[in-house]
Amino acid sequence: MAGATQGRGGGLAEDFERDLHIERQTLNMGPSHPATHGTVKFLVELDGENIADIDVQVGYLHRGFEKECESGSWYQAIPYTDRLNYNSAVLANVGFCLAVEKLLGLETPIRCQWQRVLASELSRVGDHLTRCGAACLELQAMTPFLYGIEARELIWDLLESLCGARVTSNYVRIGGVKHAMPESFPAQCRELLSKIRALLADFDAVVTSNRIFVDRLKDTGVISQQDCLRYAVTGPILRSTGVPLDLRKAEPYLTYAEIDFDVPIGEVGDNYDRYLVCVEEMQQSLRIVEQCLAKLEELGPGPVDTLDLRVRWPAKARVFDQMEGLIQQFKSVTEGPRVPAGEGYLAIESANGELGFYLVSDGSEVPTKVRCRPPSFINLAPMPLMLRGALLADLIPTFDFINMIGGECDR
Amino acid sequence: MPGQVIKVERAAKLGFLERLYLPMIAKALWVTSRHFFRNLRGFVTGRNRTDFVVQYPEERVDYPDAFRGIPVLVQLEDGQPKCVACGLCEFACPTNCIRIVSGELEGARSERTPQVFELDLSRCMFCGLCEEACPEEALVMSREVEFASYDREGLRFEKEQLLVPEKLLERRLTFLRAGYDRECEPKGGA
Amino acid sequence: MTTRDDHGSPVLSRLLEALPAAVLATHARLGDATARVDPACIVEVAKLLRDASGLEFEMLTDLTAVDYLGEEPRFEVVYHFYSVARNQRVRIKARVSEAEPRLPSLVPLYASADWMEREVFDLYGVRFVGHPNLKRILLYDEFEGHPLRKDYAKAARQPLIGPRN
Repeated sequence: MAGATQGRGGGLAEDFERDLHIERQTLNMGPSHPATHGTVKFLVELDGENIADIDVQVGYLHRGFEKECESGSWYQAIPYTDRLNYNSAVLANVGFCLAVEKLLGLETPIRCQWQRVLASELSRVGDHLTRCGAACLELQAMTPFLYGIEARELIWDLLESLCGARVTSNYVRIGGVKHAMPESFPAQCRELLSKIRALLADFDAVVTSNRIFVDRLKDTGVISQQDCLRYAVTGPILRSTGVPLDLRKAEPYLTYAEIDFDVPIGEVGDNYDRYLVCVEEMQQSLRIVEQCLAKLEELGPGPVDTLDLRVRWPAKARVFDQMEGLIQQFKSVTEGPRVPAGEGYLAIESANGELGFYLVSDGSEVPTKVRCRPPSFINLAPMPLMLRGALLADLIPTFDFINMIGGECDR
Repeated sequence: MPGQVIKVERAAKLGFLERLYLPMIAKALWVTSRHFFRNLRGFVTGRNRTDFVVQYPEERVDYPDAFRGIPVLVQLEDGQPKCVACGLCEFACPTNCIRIVSGELEGARSERTPQVFELDLSRCMFCGLCEEACPEEALVMSREVEFASYDREGLRFEKEQLLVPEKLLERRLTFLRAGYDRECEPKGGA
Repeated sequence: MTTRDDHGSPVLSRLLEALPAAVLATHARLGDATARVDPACIVEVAKLLRDASGLEFEMLTDLTAVDYLGEEPRFEVVYHFYSVARNQRVRIKARVSEAEPRLPSLVPLYASADWMEREVFDLYGVRFVGHPNLKRILLYDEFEGHPLRKDYAKAARQPLIGPRN
């Protein structure tokens, strides 16, 4: 930059340049900043308006998830997993229960698996809508945010009729789901899906090729494929660099092997690619939801719980009528399932990337170790790398598209 | 496995019209005004309303059958709780927000009845595990969600506050009863 | 975990072949190839996993620890590696004692180890030698003790530190 301003008063320009860069300034952003949707603190070292370095400080939402899980029964951990990623609670439910089922060597009924896929894809759409909508909001585009949140409300309406709660669904159980899909659900879902599609189209019309939006996103927060792998970054960020890694394809769990869906990838690895990947993933997830509905209607009503008496609570009809059922209910509730001693790691593709659960059991009813591999936490680590040398304003969209969720990052 | 990897379409450069700002602004205005006038028409005429905001508390949404609100105690016609103070909900609760002291009451229906039943709503997370644990259909999740209070003591609900006549819980009970006889139950019991 | 067999896993057989002295025990229960290695050799093992052709574990996806209170050595540090190119996983474990909970850091090989090692240090008190910036990450600096250790009481109180400027 020095030397660019030549001519009359060259000395003055030099002084000007030197004064601008004479000392670095440290800026505190957060822990509660209006433009970051997450409780996190950035200690930004600024050289003029450029970011020289960032120290990301997490932990403001640490509430001892693992300690809490290790002090209750396996069942009692399920509601806590809701609170990891509060944008897509079902995904964490599913991940935890699948990991416990892996330790138990348990196979769940077919309807249960399709319902789990249905609920998790709905939450994935909700999560991406929040990410894209909030990113628009923080780039001062209020309208697309409202469209995105309206669509998310519709998703949450659907989750509410399916699971019983909008945000903290507590829907999945070890070896099953809480209750079967209501009969009226497919019709309601199809109706709302068309509304969601219309809102997504409006969202797309307002921002995707809007120059203000594109200029803010293009070539900002770039990360290379190599760096992504070194930092173990997964999810839309990794896919935006061109690696087609999606655990739903790589290690198909539940019924994903039978489902027809595509994996979108980008090429540059900047925020714009991440945005496009997320938008395309929402379309794919809606496709999956439709396939789930068709399949569940084809299957008709039936069992959504495993037969395995080690884990499931007896059916209420038996608890009310039979002594054995009542005794079994007392035993199941007071003791909870005993999981065979051993260790197991199971990862699912959550909205942010690989959500893994590493569980260790000593054969008792209390878990020895419940480790959640949080995609938000690991994806946030390379943020200084993405932003060194960039403008301070680029921090906002980059942080938005990393989509750090405090509950999951800090646990 | 069906499905494939697709590359997102990314225009290397914006088109001329898009770079001009103005056509895009017009397009966005078209989208937003379409929403605005459609919502306005519905709001004024009151038919086919498309505006999304519910004018709470004048208007309320109807929660679905599966909805979980405050856990409440089912009250029988004689005014007594159906609860027999077995304490299973206490065991099942992950946050230990239920406290029960059982006792025998004069003229009570069963031998045991809760003398104290305390629910700390500041800790309750509405997971519904207590309802699932209850062996008597005595504790169910209601549709009530409005319990704001000025202090924490106000969130500690006593037995008397939690009693709800069975008639008023009909919808929840119907929903629950539909799932009582799960088809996969092994024949002949455990 | 007393056998040193490859259990039909090509990753474990490569590991046993290349570094027979480092591998202490293996198992492949539930389909997860697992090897317990000598903590002093962890860098060597990670280097092999990352660089050897046919293994190519580009990612250190997860790093955590388990506290086996009452056993000696007490802590087990657990690494999960994932190979994107070959779509395979392996779990490496290393035990460290309570008296000297030290382990070489993997940060020079895998950048993702940076935050995860800090987290393990924070919550378990295992020190990673060679880590560039080993300090607490989820908790604050004045926190006393390491909360995920089994002997840390769930209801333990911490000193109030007041606002920092």
